[in-house]
Amino acid sequence: MKKRLNVGYLVALLISLAVALLIGAAILAISGHNPLVAYRALLGGAFSNGRHIGDMLEYAMVLCLCGLACDIGSRVGIFNVGGEGQLLLGAIFAAQIGVWLDGTSAWIAIPLAALGAMAVGGFYAWIPGVLKVKLKVNEVITTIMLNTVAAFLCQFLAKGPWKNANKNIVAGTGNLPSAFWFSKLVPGSNLSTAIIFSAIITFLVWYILQKTTKGYEMRLTGDNPRFALFAGLKTDRIVIITMVISGMMCGLCGMFRVYGAEHIYKSSVSNEYYFEGLMVAMIAQYQPLPTVIISLIFAILKIGAMGMETAAGVPKQLYLIIQTVVIFCMAAETGIRVAIGKAREKRQAALDIKTRREGGAAHE
Amino acid sequence: MNNHNVWATVFSAGTFAQMLRSATPVALAALGGLMTEHAGIMNIGMDGMILMGAFVAAVASYFCASAAMGVLAAVAFGILIGLFFALFTVKLKSDEFIIGCALNTFALGVTAYLSREIFGLSGTSGYLVPCLPDVTIPLINKIPFVGEVLSGHSVFVYITWILVVLMWLFVYRTPVGFWIRASGESPETLRTAGKNPERMKWIASILCGVFCGLAGAHLSLGYLNGSFVEGMSASRGYIAFACVIFAAANPPKAYLAALMFGFFDALGLRLQDYISSDLTGTIPYLITIVMMVYVVVSGQKRRERLARQQLKKIETP
Repeated sequence: MKKRLNVGYLVALLISLAVALLIGAAILAISGHNPLVAYRALLGGAFSNGRHIGDMLEYAMVLCLCGLACDIGSRVGIFNVGGEGQLLLGAIFAAQIGVWLDGTSAWIAIPLAALGAMAVGGFYAWIPGVLKVKLKVNEVITTIMLNTVAAFLCQFLAKGPWKNANKNIVAGTGNLPSAFWFSKLVPGSNLSTAIIFSAIITFLVWYILQKTTKGYEMRLTGDNPRFALFAGLKTDRIVIITMVISGMMCGLCGMFRVYGAEHIYKSSVSNEYYFEGLMVAMIAQYQPLPTVIISLIFAILKIGAMGMETAAGVPKQLYLIIQTVVIFCMAAETGIRVAIGKAREKRQAALDIKTRREGGAAHE
Repeated sequence: MNNHNVWATVFSAGTFAQMLRSATPVALAALGGLMTEHAGIMNIGMDGMILMGAFVAAVASYFCASAAMGVLAAVAFGILIGLFFALFTVKLKSDEFIIGCALNTFALGVTAYLSREIFGLSGTSGYLVPCLPDVTIPLINKIPFVGEVLSGHSVFVYITWILVVLMWLFVYRTPVGFWIRASGESPETLRTAGKNPERMKWIASILCGVFCGLAGAHLSLGYLNGSFVEGMSASRGYIAFACVIFAAANPPKAYLAALMFGFFDALGLRLQDYISSDLTGTIPYLITIVMMVYVVVSGQKRRERLARQQLKKIETP
């Protein structure tokens, strides 16, 4: 049963991707580009040289971490939409900790920065978590509000108290001392050793969710909170802790962006990357393994689109269209499947009644 | 800087005029958002609807050389996007949150792509299209302070006032409004009463699309005097959503909530010299969270009290 479902999902995903690419091609053709040329340029943009592949993998890493943060939240039935804020706050605190600890050993500074980023991200996720569990306040709305608050706060810090000494940088913290930079795996690209840590985190998340009792308890809490409560689980605590962990992952992701790629906090640390991660998680139906694969696909689309813009003169925003059409297709596919299932059930029920009636008639 | 100056700046006519201007696009979208809220659909896709509405209005205004055509096109497009949204959330029963999120991102992508393709411009540089007229109210514009605040705005500022009243009447004083509210609160009851809750949700969704289209048209043709800028909705859809929550989906209250957002927006602009506008910018969002907690907690208290009274009635024969 489970296997068949997976195959169904894979087919749906492939069809959705194909439809999205076709619609993208239609848009390209209508606006006067050759779709084949554009798509070739897109692939070239993602794979043509090491730098592009590095950038692509780094972006996939960000999407994957954000997507997983959303996955674990949804596993216990809480929606962390506030990852963007947690990521930004984690990034700015990590950057500032690095600036403060200038001159100390990297072995002290980097763990402290990671802890700081996780603490801030975790705390920022704890607020909506507690509000949801204790007071039943809708976490989607609070996290969306908190996202904007975090963005404003980071702007304030980057323009005010923590501003870069360089006058040309309007909003940004001080430059990260180069001793703390994660070493690059591909020179000139954004890809750094952060991806190794991310891979470890990804594996841990997968392992905990799929293979341990804790993961099972989380799923139980999400699927049937009342049953979980009666089974003796402290569901409130599980939800809050999961939310905090989700926030910590986002904070850490922000730190990776600063220490691995940007080497300074400025607004380019995240341009609503979390929302793209969220879309990845949605398409992956909140499962860890598909999350990894779809973040790779999305990263290819995005980094490739940038290459496509320079090579073929197609506005790079095409990738957003393709990504969202995939979601619409997946949603439509699920909806249609459910509708067909219901219609079949109804027909079956009608048939049952009919046979029973006829059977009854035969008995008489 | 002395204190007197600060207060004079805060409570000047300019602040309140700016408040009205900032509040109007948010209020228009909120009027749409409260329809879906009443119908029990969590609509966070309003931001995308506004953005696409703004784009369609600008394009139509550009090609027809008429702002009125722009508004018409935005309304027509609003109907389409409302149908699209309802197709997924009502008919296909998709997760409204997923669809809303996807809609926002889709709007961002498709408007940026098309605006670059049609106008060949990138980034924030606008191009001018015919815009909506400003209205000077006779008589009132002669009154010193009030005239400065109330008169001389883009026409949609005043249309919004009328729409707020109309929507209040529609939601609370017409059968359709009643059915839409019932479709959110108790769809099964409505079905028992012989009305189709799904159809009410479709209507609510279309109305939401129309109002978001109007908000977009106002944004590109009125607020910014005839130009489209990429990402110009600037989270106004989320603010409108906050207003809806804040106001418990009541039109006049939602307008007041939008005014509050507008006030803090204006305040941030006015007080830039004294305090960072980034800090004043957080205030409306924090207030929304506090309000939500208050609404939820007081609702629980009320329900508890009712339950206790019921219990007492049962216990005392």
